[in-house]
Amino acid sequence: MTYLPSADHDDLRSVVRELAEERIVPRAAEIDQRAEFPWDLKELLAGQDLLGTCFEERHGGTALDGVAQCIVVEEIARADATTSLIPIVQKLGSLPILLAGNDEQKDRYFPRLASGEWLIAFGLTEAAAGSDVSANRMRAKRDGDSYLLRGSKRFITHGSVANVLTVFALTDPDAGGRKGMSAFIVETDTPGFSSPRLEHKMGIRGSPTAELNFDDVRVPAANRLGDEGDGFKIAMATLDRSRLGIAAQAVGIAQGALDAAVAYAAERAQFGQRVVDFQGIQFMLADMASGTEAARQLTYAAAARVDANATDLPYWTSSAKLVAGDTAMRVTTDAVQVLGGYGYINEYPVERMMRDAKITQLYEGTQQIQRLVIARQVLQRAGVAKRASS
Amino acid sequence: MKIVVCIKQVPATGADKRYTDDLRLDRASAEAIINPLDEYAIEQALRLADDGVADVITYLTMGPESASEALRRALAMGGDDAVLVSDPGLAGSDEWVTARVLAAALDRLAPDVALMGMASDDARGSLVPGAVAAMRDVPLLSYGAELRVAGNEARVRRLSSDGFDWIAAPLPVVASLTDQVGEPRYASLKGIMAAKRKPLETWTLADLGLSAAELHGGALTRVTGARPPEAKPPAERVENVTPTEAAARIADWMAARKLI
Amino acid sequence: MSTNDILFLAEFDAGQATRSALELAAGAAALAAQSGGEAVALAYGPGAADGAAGLGAHGAARCVVLGDERRPAVVHAPAATAVAREGALALLAPATPNGRDLAAALVGSLGLPAFGPVRAVRLVDGTLETEQATLQGAVITTSRPNEGAPSPSVVLVLANTFTPIEGGTGSAAVSTAPTDDGESGLARATIAESQPAEATVVNLEEATVIVAGGRGVGSQEGFGVLQELADVLGGAVGASRAAADAGWVPYQLQIGQTGKVVKPSLYIAVGISGAIQHRVGMQSAEHVIAINRDPDAPIGEFADLFVVGDLFGVVPALTDELRRRRGE
Repeated sequence: MTYLPSADHDDLRSVVRELAEERIVPRAAEIDQRAEFPWDLKELLAGQDLLGTCFEERHGGTALDGVAQCIVVEEIARADATTSLIPIVQKLGSLPILLAGNDEQKDRYFPRLASGEWLIAFGLTEAAAGSDVSANRMRAKRDGDSYLLRGSKRFITHGSVANVLTVFALTDPDAGGRKGMSAFIVETDTPGFSSPRLEHKMGIRGSPTAELNFDDVRVPAANRLGDEGDGFKIAMATLDRSRLGIAAQAVGIAQGALDAAVAYAAERAQFGQRVVDFQGIQFMLADMASGTEAARQLTYAAAARVDANATDLPYWTSSAKLVAGDTAMRVTTDAVQVLGGYGYINEYPVERMMRDAKITQLYEGTQQIQRLVIARQVLQRAGVAKRASS
Repeated sequence: MKIVVCIKQVPATGADKRYTDDLRLDRASAEAIINPLDEYAIEQALRLADDGVADVITYLTMGPESASEALRRALAMGGDDAVLVSDPGLAGSDEWVTARVLAAALDRLAPDVALMGMASDDARGSLVPGAVAAMRDVPLLSYGAELRVAGNEARVRRLSSDGFDWIAAPLPVVASLTDQVGEPRYASLKGIMAAKRKPLETWTLADLGLSAAELHGGALTRVTGARPPEAKPPAERVENVTPTEAAARIADWMAARKLI
Repeated sequence: MSTNDILFLAEFDAGQATRSALELAAGAAALAAQSGGEAVALAYGPGAADGAAGLGAHGAARCVVLGDERRPAVVHAPAATAVAREGALALLAPATPNGRDLAAALVGSLGLPAFGPVRAVRLVDGTLETEQATLQGAVITTSRPNEGAPSPSVVLVLANTFTPIEGGTGSAAVSTAPTDDGESGLARATIAESQPAEATVVNLEEATVIVAGGRGVGSQEGFGVLQELADVLGGAVGASRAAADAGWVPYQLQIGQTGKVVKPSLYIAVGISGAIQHRVGMQSAEHVIAINRDPDAPIGEFADLFVVGDLFGVVPALTDELRRRRGE
């Protein structure tokens, strides 16, 4: 084993950083202000093969290891959190297919997703259910060799811009969410599908968060992932892995804020010296840097467990997301403090970063949910867990 | 049609640049990149390959072992293979020696077109392309804003004093290009991965049939001193005044210096 | 003909020596006075034979005429023959595109040490020493030829490094370079096609006052405001790469790393942020005034006078003010 990044990882970071600094940084403020999905940057990332990092080469992907995938997300998020969601959600939406899809389904969808020609989204959350996925109500009724999907989803990142979705719906409502849910691949040009509304958000404002309506959307049975009733399991296995992307995003946001704070403090003079020369500021920067580094290393450790398909990978990915999300919030808040009044206005990027950071404590499981997951593993290891009540 | 793009590794703009005690640029101390103007030459070569005009693109550089990083970066953008000329006898080389070594390597590679950036970021003599052409006794197409190759002829579009000219010559040629050829592409992830598998050879002076003695010990010139530029006093500032006041202040400033 | 002579490239146009030829004549004369040799012009370009003797009034003792062509591809062969025969201490060449190409061809074909572009050249104890900005101006270095290096040393000289000698008299002894036999590879390059620009453009390298505009000028029309100021000052309009790329001015007016390198006595940078690539094209200007809306623009670091304000307010006001002072 090694704790040092490989030369390939370093190269990858410098290449993505250069791209992000030259092409994404100049767009970030505008994307935030206009709350518009950055189609130009989606094309840019697609053209550089950065949307296909989780797919195999036979599907046109680049099959990067988990740490490398994190580095890509991190470096994009360092420039702009909104844009980093493009690769994050491309993987999030594809994970159910990666985990439970058959070869025919993979061959049908992965080439267009790996190339970035198509975008995918992950349709799990419902308005009434939220964190309690087992309370989902959307229905999928068998009708010959297809299913009719009926119901609605809310808070679906990229739901309005995706060409295809992985959607979770109850095939057996009587069995409840845990046992009666199934997963489907749904193309968004199918009649009956609509995206009537977007949320107005505090941060990641260029990333559309959509409400989705399914009005008897007909989905071929060939688009069901796994067996009927596998849905909950697939959703949980997906989230156990996908939250790593959020951890990487949070690390990137923190790094971006730290770098902006250092650059500002080195330029700005107060009371006859550079702000960066005040020991009080140096202590803040040191805490921001070491916290970000700790979050990064935990994220990479979790990525290695996901690659190895370790049995305790939820413990690792939830820990990474918990630590990284809280770190991003703290570091961006401190960055605003370092910039003083200038940190609070949109002339500098740190107030945007602070708004963006908040979401990493909320989505793909709130920090409280992460703690539940971690605690469950801790209790299991100690042999003191309650018996599961289903 | 075969193109060799000659590139140079230089310290990044803004990187900490130092001279060693023997007044050579301390290349180990600075972040190194492909000379930005050479990236335009790479882009032009790759466009000719995209258009089916160029069949083979080889990158050539001269420098320490670490210069192979620049070659890998170039290969990640596209192209086929690369050659690094590296030899202890080349440390501190000047323009004549650089041209002499590149010319010898080009003799061996025998391209139809040898492409170079119009200048290097760290020393701006712009003499290497012309010196290489003269040494190889082939035409020089310099300062091209665009390069075209058709049949047995290459031509570049070059800014003239009052417009532009197309300068043409039969192959083989040496051409130097400006930043008007089009923005260099970014290396794609697949390009980066493919670059690791592309052939990269290292040649020594002996491989080129050159001796250190013949190269005058590596240079005809030497740096005898290095110092920071004269510190410029901070600018006198005119702020928060009306345009009319500003204009009067500027005019006074100019008058005091007998500029009007 | 002596090993202490100083050669210089003298380009002619319509029988007149160009500004660079006159500057180099002055520089060569000063060096020759120290070395105990003569300043010798290698004259080429349209009308070179007619104007050659006139260089005597500007410092040249002798003049070798290479022909009517100015393209380095053609001038190279007679120039190489003349340089080899003269056996001088140094050859001064203008740091223009053509000057560099011709110098490069001589370095390559004769195996000569090369220097520059330099901002100063002198003799120290009989040895040539040059001074140049290296690494984009981060370091000033001095250089000399190695012991035993062939001569002459080829020195690229930036415009306005030397001041032409005016009001001199005398005429240079004129000779003609032997005609060249055998075709050189370089000479196979020809002008296949020429397209003149829609409007004539000035030669920035010879301007003593330059009003240069950047991205902040915003449009082709915006440059009209700069032109008016330039007209009042008897200067020329230049531009940053951003402005040339935007198509607001022809590329002939671009100043910087990939454009012209200028050294006017007054440089007014208007709406130019001051990227390093621009800086290397104008850092030798004697006086620099910057007008910019952004108080933190990097141009402030190398301006002598930095005016923070809207260029469309300040520049017309300045034009008016200068007219008023002149009593117009």
